[in-house]
Amino acid sequence: MAVTVALMAVILLPLFVVVLGSCVNASLLGLSTDLWSGSRHDIFDFSAFGYIFENYGDWALFSLELALGCVAICLLVAVPAGYALARHPFPGSGLVEELVLLPLSLPGITLSMGLLAAYGELRGPLLVLAGHLLYTIPFMLRVVMATLRSFDVARLETAAQSLGASLPQRLYLVILPNLRHAMMVGSLLVFAVSWGEFNVSFLLNRGRPQTFPAVLYDTYTNQSIQVSSAATTIFLAIVIPAVIAIQWLGGRESSDMEQGA
Amino acid sequence: MAPLLLCVPLCVLLLVLLGWPLVHLLNQSLLMTDAPTARITLHNYLEIATVPRYRHALFWSLELSLAVAVGSTIICLAPAWLFTRYQFRGKRLMRGILILPMTFAGMIVGFLMIILLGRTGFIPQLLERLTGHPFLSGVGYQFPGLILAYLYFEIPRATLTLESALRKLDGRLEQAARSLGANRWQVLRMVVLPVIRPALISTFAVTFSVSLGSFGVLLVLSIKRFTLLPLEIFTQYIAPPTNQGIAAAMSLTLLAVAFGTGYGLRRVARRMEGTNA
Repeated sequence: MAVTVALMAVILLPLFVVVLGSCVNASLLGLSTDLWSGSRHDIFDFSAFGYIFENYGDWALFSLELALGCVAICLLVAVPAGYALARHPFPGSGLVEELVLLPLSLPGITLSMGLLAAYGELRGPLLVLAGHLLYTIPFMLRVVMATLRSFDVARLETAAQSLGASLPQRLYLVILPNLRHAMMVGSLLVFAVSWGEFNVSFLLNRGRPQTFPAVLYDTYTNQSIQVSSAATTIFLAIVIPAVIAIQWLGGRESSDMEQGA
Repeated sequence: MAPLLLCVPLCVLLLVLLGWPLVHLLNQSLLMTDAPTARITLHNYLEIATVPRYRHALFWSLELSLAVAVGSTIICLAPAWLFTRYQFRGKRLMRGILILPMTFAGMIVGFLMIILLGRTGFIPQLLERLTGHPFLSGVGYQFPGLILAYLYFEIPRATLTLESALRKLDGRLEQAARSLGANRWQVLRMVVLPVIRPALISTFAVTFSVSLGSFGVLLVLSIKRFTLLPLEIFTQYIAPPTNQGIAAAMSLTLLAVAFGTGYGLRRVARRMEGTNA
């Protein structure tokens, strides 16, 4: 228990400092440097947020679109495949499963270089989407397959089949309704992973706008701590609700997050 | 037959996004394009082994990942044990907090280290207020900061992997051992440890391969005279004069090590699970 609480403190402390540092007057926090906060008089100062929205608003939008695109494609590709792999294994289906999970244990830089070597002329948003898909499909597939492998779904489908339901009927009336929960958890995972991805997006993109983590990199290297903190706070404001929702929706599926991007 | 068709989009996507690019990368690492006649050679790989800078980058990467993987596996046993063995209020919240760094890019963790332990970081300034001396100032930019940052983003991965393994563990085994007169230490050493060993190994495999590929932390912290293989690849690939051949060779070396250890250790873990069952 003590270790767990200590770990929580280690994780939360810097996040608190960042959130406070983005808007609270630095001297109130007992910090004494211009890097921390611009305003000397007000207790709260949200100018850094305005700066981010003004200069990087389209970057955030691009990142959100990208994340939603990943969710859509993952649902279209990984859900049917997950059904086939989990319920009707064929020779080589184990290999397909291994290959899908492979990118999770590969360095992002290797995958991006490979994508650039193969499709260099496509460098830009399209290639970023490709990179994100490599890292997000495994999450969707695992969540969907974990649910489909549970006993209940298998029995329900067999029952439907014995009552004469065809494959499309079974998919639409039995499988999909039972997968709704898994698809929701999977979508949230995919969204969060895509939103937080930096390495692949940074290498595969060209020009502007970049993804939101690139805003963070931009502010970390060029801006004051206050502006950087504001950018990080915005980043967290998207991630934290997603993680809370994942936790809230189900403990079991979220253990499939075990390997990360 | 119809279910097989459902799998086709995924397989096509894998071939296009994974298979073909890796073939290209291999090709790039073996071809010497700047030589008078393009030919296939292992020159780039030899260079990694002989040029001190590259060799050090490789070894430092291995050492750091090893230390971080061992550290996070051991530390995260505590929360994983807590979450699988006890029911209590606020468990979901605690789990949520520990899982939070999961989606943080390494670079963000690097920034958090600077905020906390940089030269004008929160902790040094706090300590200066309290003691009059800025203890720990700039630690974030040094080796301990790097280790701490890596542990930070490995916590969720290690906790979740251990948790899903520990959940399969039968609590009655311990009870039986206790009722037969074993003390806590004996139970731990003779009952729990042998059973969870596969879980420890697979957790080590996951955390090791994730650490090996991460370079965002170092990109922000930029420690002098210290480099890691992924960062070396990044600079060789991005910063002029670029050397794409060597970058590709280093990339594939990294891939081979990450995948080799991951795959090998997972096999060992699976075999252990088999003999236990």
